[in-house]
Amino acid sequence: MKNVFPIAGILAGDRRTVARAITSLENQDETAYVIRAALAEHVGRAHVIGVTGPPGGGKSTLISALITDLRSRGQSVAVVAIDPSSPFTGGAVLGDRIRMGKHQADAGVFIRSLASRGHLGGLARAAADVIDVFDAAGFDIVIVETVGAGQSEIDITRIADTRLVVCPPGLGDDIQAIKAGILEIADAFVVSKADLPDARRTESELLAMLALRRDQSAAPPVLKTVATSGQGIGELVDWLAGRGQRGTRHDPTASQGVRKLLEKLIGADGFAKHVGLELVAASRGTATVRMRVGPQHINFNGRCHGGVIFSLGDTALGLACNSYGTIATLIDGQISIASSVEEGEWLVAHAIEVSRSRKVGSYRVNIMRGRDDSYVASMHGTVYLIDKPVQAAGT
Amino acid sequence: MNKPAAHIAADELTQASARWEKEFSKGAGDADEVVNRSDIKVKPLYGPTDWSGTDYLDALGFPGEYPYTRGIYPTMYRGRSWSQRQLVGLGVPEDFNARVKEMLGLGASALSLIPCNSVYRGYDADEVPAELLGTCGTVINHVEDMQRALDGVPIGDLSTAMNDPSPFTLLAFELAVAKRRDIPWTKITGTSNQSDCISHFVANHMFFRIALQGARRIVVDHIEFVNKHVPGWNPLSIVGQHMQQAGATPAEAMAFTLCSAIQYTEDCIARGMDPDSFLPRFTFFFDISVSLFEEVAKFRAGRRIWAKLCRERFGAKDPRSWRFKFHAQTSGVDLTRQQPLNNISRVTVQAMAGIFGGLQSLHTDGYDEAFSTPTTEAARIAVATQNILREEAHLTDVIDPLGGSYYVETLTDQMQGKIESIIDLVDATGGMYKAVEQGLVQQMIGQSAFKFQKRVDSGEETVVGVNAYQVEENPTDYPSLEYPDRERMNSQIGKLAQFKANRSASAVEKALDGLARTANTKDGNVFEQVVVAAEAGVTHGEICGTLRREMGFGHPLTVV
Amino acid sequence: MHERPPKVIVTKIGFDGHDRGSRIIAACLRDAGMEVIYTPPWQEIPTVIKLAIEEDADVIGISSLATDHLIVPQLMDALRAAGLDDVQVIVGGIVPAKDEATLLASGVARVFHPGTALEVIVTEVRALARKRQAKERAAT
Repeated sequence: MKNVFPIAGILAGDRRTVARAITSLENQDETAYVIRAALAEHVGRAHVIGVTGPPGGGKSTLISALITDLRSRGQSVAVVAIDPSSPFTGGAVLGDRIRMGKHQADAGVFIRSLASRGHLGGLARAAADVIDVFDAAGFDIVIVETVGAGQSEIDITRIADTRLVVCPPGLGDDIQAIKAGILEIADAFVVSKADLPDARRTESELLAMLALRRDQSAAPPVLKTVATSGQGIGELVDWLAGRGQRGTRHDPTASQGVRKLLEKLIGADGFAKHVGLELVAASRGTATVRMRVGPQHINFNGRCHGGVIFSLGDTALGLACNSYGTIATLIDGQISIASSVEEGEWLVAHAIEVSRSRKVGSYRVNIMRGRDDSYVASMHGTVYLIDKPVQAAGT
Repeated sequence: MNKPAAHIAADELTQASARWEKEFSKGAGDADEVVNRSDIKVKPLYGPTDWSGTDYLDALGFPGEYPYTRGIYPTMYRGRSWSQRQLVGLGVPEDFNARVKEMLGLGASALSLIPCNSVYRGYDADEVPAELLGTCGTVINHVEDMQRALDGVPIGDLSTAMNDPSPFTLLAFELAVAKRRDIPWTKITGTSNQSDCISHFVANHMFFRIALQGARRIVVDHIEFVNKHVPGWNPLSIVGQHMQQAGATPAEAMAFTLCSAIQYTEDCIARGMDPDSFLPRFTFFFDISVSLFEEVAKFRAGRRIWAKLCRERFGAKDPRSWRFKFHAQTSGVDLTRQQPLNNISRVTVQAMAGIFGGLQSLHTDGYDEAFSTPTTEAARIAVATQNILREEAHLTDVIDPLGGSYYVETLTDQMQGKIESIIDLVDATGGMYKAVEQGLVQQMIGQSAFKFQKRVDSGEETVVGVNAYQVEENPTDYPSLEYPDRERMNSQIGKLAQFKANRSASAVEKALDGLARTANTKDGNVFEQVVVAAEAGVTHGEICGTLRREMGFGHPLTVV
Repeated sequence: MHERPPKVIVTKIGFDGHDRGSRIIAACLRDAGMEVIYTPPWQEIPTVIKLAIEEDADVIGISSLATDHLIVPQLMDALRAAGLDDVQVIVGGIVPAKDEATLLASGVARVFHPGTALEVIVTEVRALARKRQAKERAAT
């Protein structure tokens, strides 16, 4: 059942509507689908800044100082503060926003906390949704603060336009502890608490490490800040303002294009229609597809047929790898199924790109129960890329 | 200390011990292990194999002699009883005055003024919601309020404690009152109670107005000023009570307090002060829980450790510098809302623990602590409790009566071990300020609080009336204090307006300017400017507001 | 389809700073699988409203000592004025019996006194959060 959601409220920046839209997207309910579709053409204006780094490194303090400076320049700021959930209970104390103390009362600042788990389709998907809502609502800057561990952190920073890695002094050998993936995608390094004695050493270690990179053409700068006094903050904001990459995580024409394309593709897929598969979300290299298990999907043991689960995952994978607009075809696929699914359940498959070169791509798919985000199956597929435009049948 | 007492043959003792153990096991069987709040195992019996007393002079010493384990003065309560220093604070200055006179008439020998929560947060009465005024403390915003509060109170002869964190406006007001009454500041005695900014930053959070580093600087300014001009006043009261109330175990509370004391001492030394010039006026403020023996051991261990720190770590030479002086308050968190009259028994046990522990001054809680600011009756019983312990139970007759007990001496040593290992941990982190900024202290306290709550919820820790021995009760059966009269409070706010209208605007402006300027320079004594401002008629809210602007607003760092 | 866990704000308004109880409750709610926004003491009412809006909170837990509960009715009015009528509010701490009725009349869902078992509070918060989430879904 599609509900009427006041999209206009989001676009007008009404705080309550924005917050409720985010909740809908967190819940991945029917309204979410509508919201996502409606917002697709309104995103791409905000500058999305990802802030990552080891815990205790001063990220929150730095963000707080950035907000002060940005606000003094008349910019509206939204923050997605990601806090780790307990791996055992799923609960979380979302304490990051409180560390951004003085902005709690500023109407031009909107902070939303996001717990790291329990998100249908993964944390990166959830963060991307929240960012899109803020973008569409008209915030000039969206800052995403990530937890600092795991693959999802890399996924999240990938969706930012500018990626800052915050390193406190005294890291020493722990610089290696910063995930390799993060180091490669960083657009700038910030040495926080730069008034401490070890700051100089950390700065040189970072520079030395960057000198070893293969691609020396665009070496990320290493900036120093003392958030508590404001030192270096103005320079950092100037540098951010100079970045032209606004909205590139979503190439504005591309994002609309990708969504329209995938909708066309799945609409032209006879088998997808036959099984009852629906496109939920799409962006370059990712796709989310869902279905409800009906009597026609049940096997002789009274449970959802494995082939149906495979089809769901394969369709999501197929859409994800074809989202570039050129043909990609599965040449090797593998599924492992962890639990059985009953009639009436919703299944959601979320496909993301692991790697892609000129001829070959690697994708993985997580399949979960819609009801409670519990794990059902995962797939991995290798695709072969053909340099011809995708042609939807019958168009 | 496993050497048997000299006059008993070693093997005879071992045999007798084994005999008893056998009989005990037969009777008690598989009794659960007992652990106290500081996580120290408690045995059913202690004897000469646990503690032999052979190094009496080094480990214990006589009262008044290093390491002061048995007491900081040679005479202790035989010479002078502990001070009965009850906290008084409610309503308007006239209410405070009436209650204080009553307390003094009943035998209290010192007074402790606790201001309204709005004052704690640095605001005047005209800046806050009226409902919140005067409910937990007295509204005192300027020198004339203090005049009325202390009307007829001989401040030149009586020890007054002001519960007042940076920037110590209450003392400033009292000094201004003394000047008006022609009482020389050299005759003013008392303490800036709870002046320790670190403990407010970490726990309690009641008394925190200015950013931590600003508060830190003013503490040292305050010490310097008081040393010079009010030599009978103790400028620093380092607090363990907040942390223990927040859930720290007794050992943790003592350890963290000593760590804070180390910080303040180092700050003063860095200022160029000689340890012997300020250490004699450092005082401490602790919580006393109902865990009787553990508290006694905690205080005795504290005395011993502090003496050693002062003599060896800080190099103080004057024996007065090595003395661990402390005020203690019976613990409110042990008191219950259910069957509140039971709290009288609890307070009695807590008070005894403090007395056996050798405190210098004591506040006993009212039995209605869990649901009200004390009514007159509850306050009266609290003072009577101290009188009974002193004069009927004769607890002042013998110094350190539990000294020499195999249990208490062993426990004192064990508590010392625990406390010192925590001090080492904080030292390794870089000192108390660093440990607090990193959240280490808050985390440890939070974990202890959580652990204790789990023990209560599971029934492992009994709380009479709450998880055992409950009865059906009607909570409205017990009287609670009426809220301050709205009329009186409005009249108080009216008086504030009048005061502001009558004072010299130029004197106020000049004083605030001086205050702001001094706050922005490294030299210059901020507290001195606060005193000048108080005399010029500046209000508490104006002083705090100016310092917040210059030095930052105080936001405690909480960790869950 | 997928219900997010209860989102609870644990905060203190007014002047009291004792937060032992609120910290324990926050930890407890987290351990029960809820998402908790924990604030330091001395929050102003407009700040709490903004928090509730931005985080789309289900429940606001006020920890109160002294007489801070006396301004809770002001919070309730502010919630209504902001259109947050569906958000559930509970008060825990030291509340004289004579004031409990006033709080409930102002719209507070439950008042918890010292000595209440943590399990009881957790169960109640979960129920209130569900109630609010149902109302939210019905409204959108």
